[in-house]
Amino acid sequence: MLTVKDLHKSYQVGNTTYEVLKGVSLTVDEGAFVAVMGPSGSGKTTLLNCISCYIPSDHGSILLGGTELARLDEDAIAAVRNHKLGFVFQDFLLLDGLTVRENILLPAIIGGAVSATTETRADQLCDVFGIAAIRNKYPAEISGGEKQRTAVARALINHPLLILADEPTGNLDSKSSRAVIRSFEQAKAALGATIFMVTHDSFAASFCDQVVILRDGVVWQTLTKGTQSRSAFQDQLLDAIREMGKE
Amino acid sequence: MRTFPQIYAALRRKNRGQYALLSGCCFFSVLLITAYVCMMRSPTILAVLPEGGDSRKQVMMIFVLAVIGCAVFTTYAAGLFFRQKSRETGVFLALGAARRQLKQELRRELAVISLGACAAGAILGGPLAWALWQIFRALVVDTQEMSLTFDPAAYTYALTFAAYVTAMLFLLGGRSIRKTNIIDVISESHRSEPIRAVKRWYGWVGIALLVMGGFCGYIAPSVFVRGLHWYAPEGLSAVFYLPALVGLYMILLHTVANGWGSKRRKYKDIIAVSLMRFQGRQTVRNMLVMTVLIAGAYFASFYTPMLGTGAMLGYDARPVDYAYHFRADQDIPQQDEVHALAEEYGVTITSWTQAPMARLAVDGDRHVETDGTLGTTWESVYYAQAKSELFLSESAYNTLTGESLDLQPGQIAAIMDASGDGQGVFGGFVTLVTNPITGERFPVTMVDDLRNDLLFGRYVVDDADYAAMTDRLPDDWREQMVFFNVENDAQTYNFAKALFYEIVDRSGPEVALYDSYDPVAREIAIAETGEYFLDPETCEAYDFTPIDYDQRDSSNFRLYWQYMPQFRVLDKADFVKTTAVFLMLFVFIAIVCFAAVIVIAFTRCLTIAITNRQVYDDLRHLGAPRAYLFRSVRSQVRRVFLVPMVTGTALIYAFYAMIMFFNDNRLTMGELAGLGSCLLLIFAVSAILYGVYRLTHRTVCRRLGI
Repeated sequence: MLTVKDLHKSYQVGNTTYEVLKGVSLTVDEGAFVAVMGPSGSGKTTLLNCISCYIPSDHGSILLGGTELARLDEDAIAAVRNHKLGFVFQDFLLLDGLTVRENILLPAIIGGAVSATTETRADQLCDVFGIAAIRNKYPAEISGGEKQRTAVARALINHPLLILADEPTGNLDSKSSRAVIRSFEQAKAALGATIFMVTHDSFAASFCDQVVILRDGVVWQTLTKGTQSRSAFQDQLLDAIREMGKE
Repeated sequence: MRTFPQIYAALRRKNRGQYALLSGCCFFSVLLITAYVCMMRSPTILAVLPEGGDSRKQVMMIFVLAVIGCAVFTTYAAGLFFRQKSRETGVFLALGAARRQLKQELRRELAVISLGACAAGAILGGPLAWALWQIFRALVVDTQEMSLTFDPAAYTYALTFAAYVTAMLFLLGGRSIRKTNIIDVISESHRSEPIRAVKRWYGWVGIALLVMGGFCGYIAPSVFVRGLHWYAPEGLSAVFYLPALVGLYMILLHTVANGWGSKRRKYKDIIAVSLMRFQGRQTVRNMLVMTVLIAGAYFASFYTPMLGTGAMLGYDARPVDYAYHFRADQDIPQQDEVHALAEEYGVTITSWTQAPMARLAVDGDRHVETDGTLGTTWESVYYAQAKSELFLSESAYNTLTGESLDLQPGQIAAIMDASGDGQGVFGGFVTLVTNPITGERFPVTMVDDLRNDLLFGRYVVDDADYAAMTDRLPDDWREQMVFFNVENDAQTYNFAKALFYEIVDRSGPEVALYDSYDPVAREIAIAETGEYFLDPETCEAYDFTPIDYDQRDSSNFRLYWQYMPQFRVLDKADFVKTTAVFLMLFVFIAIVCFAAVIVIAFTRCLTIAITNRQVYDDLRHLGAPRAYLFRSVRSQVRRVFLVPMVTGTALIYAFYAMIMFFNDNRLTMGELAGLGSCLLLIFAVSAILYGVYRLTHRTVCRRLGI
């Protein structure tokens, strides 16, 4: 589904060059729920922004469903974002002037493909994520958890190959965080979605099939949940993080 | 909602305040510029403002300031609009919208905003100028020449400005979408505008640059003309004012970033100061525009009190109530007829003096101009007969003034105004007087100047010299000067007007001349170029309206006719009428500039409210009482209003006083009184602006829920 090979990215600040990604390679299988963790400055968000094509990488390869993203022109990148990717941002990025339902429909409207079927799908997504009762409300009138579930529904409206989530629980309380993670699980189980999530939260990451831990711009370790329970996987994650701190 | 345009329409409805603000700013700036330019280019105005004259330059200078102000202000409003819009642009891009798609929608919106607002402003600008002018005519003064006509060509300026606004909107709009980094676009609306560290010396260096720029800019034209003998392009002199502009910017920057108060007070205004710092760049730009516009507005406003106060003092200081002069070949009412007319109007003439004068040629330097690649240069060339002047004998002078002047043969005395000033038009060093008919020359020596407002600009010579100099001079080179007083001067307006009309009606076409018409200078000009610019048949080609007896109540006639009588009661009563077009034009300009200042200040303050809403919510959560929040808002609003007001007002007042002083290196009573009147005007305008400030403060507090 997604293959990242030897990805490099650096920033220039004055005369100093900061190399944030130093050859990241990873693979995300179809239908997988993958998290990326790591300390601040490890390159998590930069990796996500490169995969989203929000920022260009220096070199390396990003293959999404067999398409090399680095070779695409601007219009093609826009089409990939619209049709093949779904986005969930830390601060939701809902448009205040649109209702919940209109926000969910937005990627389809941008893609020019709104039909009765799309509207029905939007309503189904509202039902799946428990926001049907608020679908005609505006973002200012709903809670943070509801906003983020709206964002997840929005990310799914165009049947994307991959959902990219940047700290989706970062601005939420524990109850809302749990609801959002549950919505990801529902998306995966009911809709077959593939999810790639950047997070600091080991609790959120423990729901994933696989956790990639970044450190200083490289993949330090990849942990797979396998058949172990969620709490056992969270303990494994915490041990790994502790071990990383000792080195 | 199924289409992208529908989404845009929904967002437009939600953000209608932002759209209204941008449209309003575009509309207002085009409206002001159109109204101004319609007035500035109106044939009514151009007929009164002499070509190349100071008044026309001042009008143009303030127009340039207004254009710069409106351009900066509109650009700022557009920048703010696109910054607020950047979030939704970023979301669209992040969700896979193509830039092309967004540009298409934005272009559609901007076309409606720019064309709608600019067209409305341009269409209503003319009627606004006309309506204001009609209000002046109805409430203040109405004269025949105030009938307002517009030149359609003026719209070229207005359309150019509207084109700028439209182009700027499209340019900034396109740029806001072209930004490649979506992350930046998404976070742009949250980006503050920090100003770089401002050292405390900025304030004092700013003041030094301001003073230096003001002084250099003012004296630069004199240095070019007098020192370098060069008529430099007007734009070049303006360059010397630039340090003043830089200085002003530094002062405002220092005021916003550091403040002038003591460090002990820093915690009192800590919220207001810190918020202003983080919106510093735009705030300072706005304040700079406001300062310049306030200065321009006051510069225009001062015209009326300065002119009015000086004129009224001058009328009161005249030694006699009635004075007129006429060429000896004209059939002008003399003592018997004037007495008869006075009797008809019930006026008692209490004194009458009359004395002859003669026009003679004098020597002097003339500027001979040469056009070169760097503009026009001049050199001084001595002419034995450079121009003509009016001469009195010492006995004629004594008769008219009651003095007992006794000049020696060969001596000549110039008559300055009552303050001893040549008013920039009279004076110089005469060494040779020539009878223009016989060509006989008389070497003379100048002695101490005399002072008399009504005989200003004449020379006095010894009686015997006068007789010799005027030998065989025909009547068209001779004149009579009449002075008389009346009882209850202030009650004799009808008589004065009747006598004025009688003098005009009986003057022949050969004396329908400008006051600066000079037969000797004319001869030189005819010999050198084949024409004289003040000849009635050529003056129109030089933008001078011919002197027309049918227009005897027009300001052109009353200000510039060579034989215009000086009747105190008439001059005082008709002062506003005579100068109506000048006065109303400058009042109009002041209104336009002050209106622009008020709108800019108001919108800036509202922007502060919108931008800082979160900060005030946070402060409320931290337990800040209402009074504290109220005070903090007041501190910011006060800075936006007060700093430009105080700076602009102080600057222009000092500059005006400097101009008055350097005219003759002193301040006359008339100038001091005029400056006093200007102070009263400042108090009155400041009171109005204070009212607007209070209103704005209340509005901002209401928006913030305080």
